[in-house]
Amino acid sequence: MNVIRLFTDIFTITDFELRKIWHDSSQVFIRAIQPILWLLVFGQVMSKINLMSSSIPAGYTYLQFLTPGVLAQSVIFVAIFYGFNMVMDRDMGLLHKLLSTPIPRYSIVLGKTLSAGVRSVIQALVVFILAVIIRVQLIMTPVSIIGVIVIIILTGMCFSGLSIFLASFFKTRERIMGIGQAIMMPLFFASSAIYPVDIMPTWLQVIARINPLSYIVDAMRALLVTADYSHLALDFGITVLATAVLVTLASTSFSRIIR
Amino acid sequence: MNMIEVDGLTKRFGQFTAVDTVSFHVDKGEIFGLLGPNGAGKTTTIRCLLTLIPVTNGKATVAGIDILKKPQQAREVSGYVPQDVSVDGDLTGYENLLFYARLFHVAGSARKERIREVMRFMDLAEKANDLAKNYSGGMMRRLEIGQVLVNRPRVLFLDEPSIGLDPVAKRMVWDYIQQLRDEFDATILLTTHDMNEADFLCDRIAIMNGGKIVVTGPPSKLKTELGGDIITITSDNSSCRQVLQQLGYQLLPQSQDHDCDLVADNGEKKIPEIIDKLKNHGVSTTSVSLKEGTLDDVFLKYAGKRIGEGDLTWQTTRAVRRTERRHG
Ligand SMILES: Nc1ncnc2c1ncn2[C@@H]1O[C@H](COP(=O)(O)OP(=O)(O)OP(=O)(O)O)[C@@H](O)[C@H]1O
Ligand SMILES: [Mg+2]
Repeated sequence: MNVIRLFTDIFTITDFELRKIWHDSSQVFIRAIQPILWLLVFGQVMSKINLMSSSIPAGYTYLQFLTPGVLAQSVIFVAIFYGFNMVMDRDMGLLHKLLSTPIPRYSIVLGKTLSAGVRSVIQALVVFILAVIIRVQLIMTPVSIIGVIVIIILTGMCFSGLSIFLASFFKTRERIMGIGQAIMMPLFFASSAIYPVDIMPTWLQVIARINPLSYIVDAMRALLVTADYSHLALDFGITVLATAVLVTLASTSFSRIIR
Repeated sequence: MNMIEVDGLTKRFGQFTAVDTVSFHVDKGEIFGLLGPNGAGKTTTIRCLLTLIPVTNGKATVAGIDILKKPQQAREVSGYVPQDVSVDGDLTGYENLLFYARLFHVAGSARKERIREVMRFMDLAEKANDLAKNYSGGMMRRLEIGQVLVNRPRVLFLDEPSIGLDPVAKRMVWDYIQQLRDEFDATILLTTHDMNEADFLCDRIAIMNGGKIVVTGPPSKLKTELGGDIITITSDNSSCRQVLQQLGYQLLPQSQDHDCDLVADNGEKKIPEIIDKLKNHGVSTTSVSLKEGTLDDVFLKYAGKRIGEGDLTWQTTRAVRRTERRHG
């Protein structure tokens, strides 16, 4: 009974979050601009430079290498500002009203993070379609597609959890905006998203190895590009672990937002 | 039966005490008003009762449920209309209602009918499928009240239900609130800055100031206790106030040197007497006026401030937030 309630509550919150996209899909496209520029501008230029090609697995182009990284980035763009939305809702009366319903706090967080996950899939789809249009060779089997969707949902949950967790401590829009941006950069650059970890200086390699984003990108790369599944279990494991930890932290800290 | 019972409720934010050992009760089917100047602690009291923020000290029950021991159950029987905008502008009016119907676990079979009923009751049926951000302020407020009605709560907490509404819309909301009590048998705790509203709606009121309840009672009783009519005397002589005090008249706190408000039984009979006495002390009067004591005066007496000071800022804030909601 309680489990059923938990799932219906989560589903309700996710459902209505997604209806907002249905009513106004413009932000899906606006948020796609930056990842698209990464693929079109950065990706195209870097393909011409041989510098890194030695570290990229043989037989693959740089664009193939980059596409999973940019997919992950588009997801993080969606997720990292979820805390910001929560604080917006707090500044109106929305969050107070939501918290005055009988549903437990953790189902609110689970519902919100799950909707971030589903939104992320929609967001990534835009980037994915572009990658196909510009003829990036990607593996498109049912298994690889489903695997990538699962990874994307987890990524959306993971980083929206992080964002909500941070929001419950930083509390104001300005600070959260600042923190979100401050995290974005190192998260992206100190990972395997845009260049192989091998070419980084050692200290950066260390950071990249503890950055969950590296594992997320690695998993997507294995599924979409290399079909080398030797790390896949590890990648999935770390992604699930990071998601579980951050969503749990967010659930316990979340009601601080309104205090 | 007491549907709300508050005993020694205290809420501190750090060193600051926002709600200070507040005690009151609300009977079943009663409309109870919390009045007080800005920052008096009204909203904080409501948030404590809805278990939104932890209580520092004290006890409270809602519909007999201990809010400290069973917060989730207490929330199940409560409905809350916050002071700030709480409709989701990115969803339609219908979806706003459906969302809360589902969060309150209204049975799937009853949902549609409930929502339609609320839409009709709140006069929103025509705009059901418009995005709420395109609603007028009054419609938003009605939708906000409608949202809690889908659950048929037994206890309603309305934080300034008619804020920012024009007189016609206000009147409509008042009628709805009364209907809620009469038709749904709801118990209602509301806060307001509008003395007419309190006078019109509330069976009993409590005036809060600086986190404390200073007086509780039915509006009519509080007005009677004021001791009669209000006589306003203006004079060129700056010792007017002092002399009146020496003569033993009961002055209201807002009185100035030249400009005094005092309370008296049978005011019209007292006026000649007062003017004579003042003259004997060398104080001539430039004008005298008389009015019956109102709830405004009751408020002034207990809160030491005229209501509505700063009220406007709230309305502006709400308007700004509503705009943000639309455009942001
Ligand atoms: N989260 C908070 N942290 C610190 N102080 C707070 C917090 N919430 C409220 N306060 C303070 O508590 C006091 C009471 O605030 P409250 O909102 O309850 O007043 P109110 O009676 O509802 O006023 P208004 O008529 O303006 O709505 C105010 O001084 C306010 O600054
Ligand atoms: Mg308030």
